[in-house]
Amino acid sequence: MLQGVNWRAIASICMHVNTGTRLGQSDPPASITRSEITVHLVDTMHDVDAHHLTKGLQASFDHIGMRYPTGTQALDDVSLTVAEGECVAIVGPSGCGKSTLLRLAAGLEAPSTGSVALGTTSVGFVFQEPNLLPWCSVRRNVGLLAHLAKVPKAEREQRVTAALDAVGLTAFADQLPRALSGGMRMRVSLARALVLRPDMMLLDEPFGALDELTRQDMQGELLRLYESRRFTMLFVTHSVAEAVLLARRVVVMSPRPGRIAATVDIDLPYPRRPEVRFSPRYVEHVAAVADILRGVR
Amino acid sequence: MTSTETITTASATRTAPPTAAPAEAPRSAAGRRARRLLTGTARATAVPALSCALGIAVWYGVSYVLLSPDRRFLLPPPHDVVAHSFLDPTRIEPMLTALGVTARIAAIGFVCAALIGVGTGALMSQARWIERLLYPYAVMLQVIPVLAIVPLIGLWFGYGSSSRVIVCVMIALFPIITNTHFGLRSVDRGMHELFTLGRSSRGRRLVMLELPAALPSIFTGLRIASGQVVIGAILGDMFFARGEPGIGTLLDGYRATLRSEDLIASILLASAFGIAVFTVFTLVSRLVVGRWHSSGDHR
Repeated sequence: MLQGVNWRAIASICMHVNTGTRLGQSDPPASITRSEITVHLVDTMHDVDAHHLTKGLQASFDHIGMRYPTGTQALDDVSLTVAEGECVAIVGPSGCGKSTLLRLAAGLEAPSTGSVALGTTSVGFVFQEPNLLPWCSVRRNVGLLAHLAKVPKAEREQRVTAALDAVGLTAFADQLPRALSGGMRMRVSLARALVLRPDMMLLDEPFGALDELTRQDMQGELLRLYESRRFTMLFVTHSVAEAVLLARRVVVMSPRPGRIAATVDIDLPYPRRPEVRFSPRYVEHVAAVADILRGVR
Repeated sequence: MTSTETITTASATRTAPPTAAPAEAPRSAAGRRARRLLTGTARATAVPALSCALGIAVWYGVSYVLLSPDRRFLLPPPHDVVAHSFLDPTRIEPMLTALGVTARIAAIGFVCAALIGVGTGALMSQARWIERLLYPYAVMLQVIPVLAIVPLIGLWFGYGSSSRVIVCVMIALFPIITNTHFGLRSVDRGMHELFTLGRSSRGRRLVMLELPAALPSIFTGLRIASGQVVIGAILGDMFFARGEPGIGTLLDGYRATLRSEDLIASILLASAFGIAVFTVFTLVSRLVVGRWHSSGDHR
């Protein structure tokens, strides 16, 4: 059944790209003016892909199954690899297990079947909520993970200062979290993850609770950080626009039990400026991913 | 302190009639704020004053209307209590001395209860089996009336001040244990996961995350306990009268000799003491956690 869904989705994308019109209209095909969007059928994805292997793997999920004690099958046979320095976004309807996938990567949960392997131990995790200690200043919150990792004080302070600077919160270093806006709190959370200089960043819908403008600012900021620091990034979101803007590859998941329905390559070159949002190519990709998502729902 | 100001200002703003705004407009902002603060303070003191006046009125009513003159000794009117007890140095001085004794015992009991209670609560939060081991005893402590085990305490620890302290501890322990335990248990899951990702040791997790996060709850427990120890100390005075007399010892004596003015005066003194202790704890709690926790903002 799932296979059928996938094929329908892929067929509709081809149509969409070829005609340049809205999905479902039956106009005769116009000439192909744009290159096609590459959609991979999942199962062929993780086996051998020379392009990804050349760069070295940073994370690999191997036939992951996840069943909770309550009987809920959250994930079913999910295989995915993330190359070093790559940004992969996972989109899917709520309850499709995309956050679970991230939590498995971070080691917060263990899969029922299959295995997860990370190529690094230096991992930064950004939660959906900022998760700040309300009694600690911004500076101490940013330094928290470095403190737990026993980074010496002098170096910790230096790194905290740099991270605060990177997210533009230097002026608020001595404030308590309650004095900050939602977007600023998220920046603190981001800075806290950056202090450890992670090789890999796992982000679980970090901007989901922000208003649209703040969200766009934060996306631009994350893109800038990603491009300057070259960490590997696995990004869970429910926003297709966000996924396409940030990722080199967008993984679309189907709802319960969570499976990977399709993977879409986003061939927009880095460095990406936020203005890429207005390019036709970006819009095409967003439409393609959105179509697949609609198909799996 | 700042939080009180903010709140009184806010309430004054909310209740100010909208028509008054244009008239006030030319004044300086600071002047307006000061005036609002004043009206806010007036409102904050006026209502308790009114309630106090009402209470005294009811008291007079009972003394003069409900009770016939020959039964008036059951509730002498307020001015008699003031004149015969509060303003008579020979009466009030022993009461104050006794109150001091009771206060000291309450304080010792409170410190013991706080240490044992927070310790037990913290221990219980560390493992389920410890919780299951200790919780039944904590509940037992709460459900058995202190009066029922007073004879036992007397037999074991004598009839002096150490038994009074034990009564205080017993009566104050439960709210501290449960609130500490509850506070430590209800730390946000996301925060715990953050510490898990940071590979935090158990001790660090307790000191850096759980205890600070539980402080508002712990203070709630301590605040309830601070009222309880006063009750415990007075009860202790009544039953363990050996040694220096406390206010409870005097109360019992006044009851036995039907000195109702003194009885009422000492009850008022004891309750004033209890209110003072409670207020002090509210202020301390606000000082410690009010900076980041909303529970410190009011009450």
